[in-house]
Amino acid sequence: MSERADTSPVTKIVVVEDLTKDLRPGFGLRRKRVLDRISFSVERGEIFGFVGPNGAGKTTTLKVLMGLIRATSGRAQILGHDVRETAYRRHVGFLPENPYFHDFLTGREFLAFYAKLSGLRRSNRAARIEALLDLVGLREAADARLRTYSKGMLQRIGLAQSLVHDPEVVFLDEPMSGLDPLGRKEIRDLILRLRTEGKTVFMNSHILSDVEMLCDRVAIIAEGRIRYEGGVDAFLPHGESGTDVVATGLAPEAAAKLHDRLGERMRVQGERVELRVPHKQVGELLAELLAMGAEVTSVMPHRASLESIFLSTVQERRRWAR
Amino acid sequence: MGALIRIYTLAGNTLREVIRNRILYVLLCFAIVLIATGVVLSALSYVEQERILQDVGLGSIRLFGTVIAIFLGVGVLHKEVDRRTIYTILSKPISRSEFVLGKYLGLTATIWLQLLIMSAAFALISWLAHAPLGTGHAAALLLSGLEMSLMVAVATLFSAFTTPMLASFFTAGIWVVGHLTRDLRQLASHSDVSAVRELAVWIHRLLPDLESFNVSIQAVHGLPIEGSEVTLPIAYGIGYASLVLILAIVLFERRDFR
Amino acid sequence: MGEQAAVGTRWVQLVAALSFAALTVVSFSKLPMPIRGARGDLFIPRPEVARIASLGFEALVADYYWLQAVQIVGGAQNPTRYAPLIGGLIDVVTTLNPWVGHPYRFAAVWLIDSPESVRQANRLLERAIEHHPEDWRHYFYLGFNQFFYLEDNEAAAAVLERAIELRGAPLYLKRLVARLKVQADGLETGATFLRELIATTRSRKARAKYERALDEIETERRARWLDQAREDYRERFGRDIETIGDLVRGPDPVREALPPEPHGWEWILKGKKRRLVSSYYGHRYEPQFHRTERKRRKHWRAELLEREGSGR
Repeated sequence: MSERADTSPVTKIVVVEDLTKDLRPGFGLRRKRVLDRISFSVERGEIFGFVGPNGAGKTTTLKVLMGLIRATSGRAQILGHDVRETAYRRHVGFLPENPYFHDFLTGREFLAFYAKLSGLRRSNRAARIEALLDLVGLREAADARLRTYSKGMLQRIGLAQSLVHDPEVVFLDEPMSGLDPLGRKEIRDLILRLRTEGKTVFMNSHILSDVEMLCDRVAIIAEGRIRYEGGVDAFLPHGESGTDVVATGLAPEAAAKLHDRLGERMRVQGERVELRVPHKQVGELLAELLAMGAEVTSVMPHRASLESIFLSTVQERRRWAR
Repeated sequence: MGALIRIYTLAGNTLREVIRNRILYVLLCFAIVLIATGVVLSALSYVEQERILQDVGLGSIRLFGTVIAIFLGVGVLHKEVDRRTIYTILSKPISRSEFVLGKYLGLTATIWLQLLIMSAAFALISWLAHAPLGTGHAAALLLSGLEMSLMVAVATLFSAFTTPMLASFFTAGIWVVGHLTRDLRQLASHSDVSAVRELAVWIHRLLPDLESFNVSIQAVHGLPIEGSEVTLPIAYGIGYASLVLILAIVLFERRDFR
Repeated sequence: MGEQAAVGTRWVQLVAALSFAALTVVSFSKLPMPIRGARGDLFIPRPEVARIASLGFEALVADYYWLQAVQIVGGAQNPTRYAPLIGGLIDVVTTLNPWVGHPYRFAAVWLIDSPESVRQANRLLERAIEHHPEDWRHYFYLGFNQFFYLEDNEAAAAVLERAIELRGAPLYLKRLVARLKVQADGLETGATFLRELIATTRSRKARAKYERALDEIETERRARWLDQAREDYRERFGRDIETIGDLVRGPDPVREALPPEPHGWEWILKGKKRRLVSSYYGHRYEPQFHRTERKRRKHWRAELLEREGSGR
């Protein structure tokens, strides 16, 4: 077995060119183009974020890369191999979104199963499994069935599964979705650790903050098309951010005055008003509201989600107040 | 070599999944109870009680074996796809054909294991009732296991491209028709219309001839069973199941997992 | 307060459960269980359809219909009344699984209410013979039906003759065949048959029995000769003989001399019917019936004649 001789010279770990996927939802129904000539590439050793709103085509792209879906046209390569081949997957790890595993297995059996499937030799299998259990902090739960695992534990054992054969590149689909803050942090730390080990990470996400925190480069996909590919720093300022303030007990004339100034950034719901202002103007606004005799019920920094970015930059149809 | 290890690993995991599934034990217990029902039923007849005991025993084994084969077979691929466990498996260096073969062999091993348990219950009850047991019974059980394995292959085929509901419907349909094709061919041979005769012959050729796996009457009555009545069905069953599996693999390889 | 209410409800539940249980048990034990089929509620499929529809479970389905037949006979006062039903069931059973044994003989025992039933039983028995050519009993039942109910001694002898060499066939079967042949073809055929048996048998005991049967045939030959003489006497004098001696007595006897009884015994006129028999055997050489069987046969014959009469 030539373990990795054939892959080391490749610097572009993933190459996608003009990838197109049409779906036919049912007999006689019209084809729907879910991926439209998308192209991007992933360099060795980076954490690559593939971001976009739900339904944009992130998971479809990832499934094409994992050989679960056949592309209609275009090219997709991992480590220089066409994704329809199987042998190169010895060097590829994958964690799907909301993974569901064979829950009749214990954590240890589960990892052993994937180790055997990946062609790991018996001699180093056990040591590798123990090391992974330590890595994801599941040594205690190793002999419990996966049925009894929490969502965070499943996500971690899933990650261990994707690493069992020591792959060069790991593909993660929404690795932090559905987790509590602690779980998110654990996964985040694990991903960062992978980079220090020299692995390449490809990560699907629709949560900007995660991407901002982890990724070296991103590609943004919306409605099946790549909208952006490049560094994270370059793309973040596109987002509109600010702070949401909610207040009650505002006199009608005071509200009308505010509305004249803020326009679409103010929404009135009976007694209650919702306002969004840039971070720098929060103090000023609060003082003004209090002076008007209003009661401030909530002040919250607004996180620019990718959805909002797409709504503002791509669709240009965003309406704050209707 | 690597492929064999992967198929073996998948088969072993499938076997483990079924063994750890409680529903199956319920089914198996029910089957054994039904085998034992032969004791009660045979008591209703004042003569030939051993014969009725064994008719009921072999009948229950074949019926339950087939039900379990279809029940497990239609879920085999679908469950992996539906619960998305297949995503991580196929992300490993495993081809889809290895996946289908591994799942099939694992399930077939389960079927044979169950057949073995039911056969043991049958033998025990026969022994307690002083009913004769011989190579004929072994041949009947062997061939019924082969029929079940063939039904798992058919279920796998349907499971490769349709929902479990439809797959069980189709598989059960194949099973019913598979037991009729001989009669159909014979009935049609009296037809005046040559197209009808031809059609019946082709149906018999294309669909599995499941009656060829049925020697239970001969076994119970201690009638002679020719060597070719066992070896030819074995060859036929293995050949047919392999063809069905190849078709299943071809269909499964073209499939998108959305 | 709430605790007490809960206890109260529990009592109510217990009492209710027990009373419903009692009601169920009692009513179940009294459920009327009429014989299925007596009211025409037993569906008997066409045998061929049943065979095709049982999808490889022929033996099991056959057992089901067999148990139905057993239930009918077991629950009926006079099972022969259900002969058509039993015949239909056994036809299904033996079409599904022709290798069964007892059901054929079961049918032969109960299908005796009419000539149609007997003929159906015979068709079933022929199927039995086809699948169990080594079992003498089916030939025996078939032969019995032929001579007893259908009164076809020739056919009966032909069937029984096939059974006599089979394993387990009783010796009396051979002598019965001889008697039937005598009835059907005449004494010489019977005698030839017995000489053949004597020549081929190895058992001394059996040979002794055949020789005795052959001796009976000789006796019967003479008795028939005397019967003929008695008939001539009746024609000439318009009355029956008082004693055997009347045949040679008087100025113009019907016969010159009487054949001696082969054993040195004498010829007598036996019973109310004054049948001419040898005092050595006390009966004539013919199939022997038990008295009750004879009665049943007579009754059945009358019914048959009546039906055929009304049919015309």
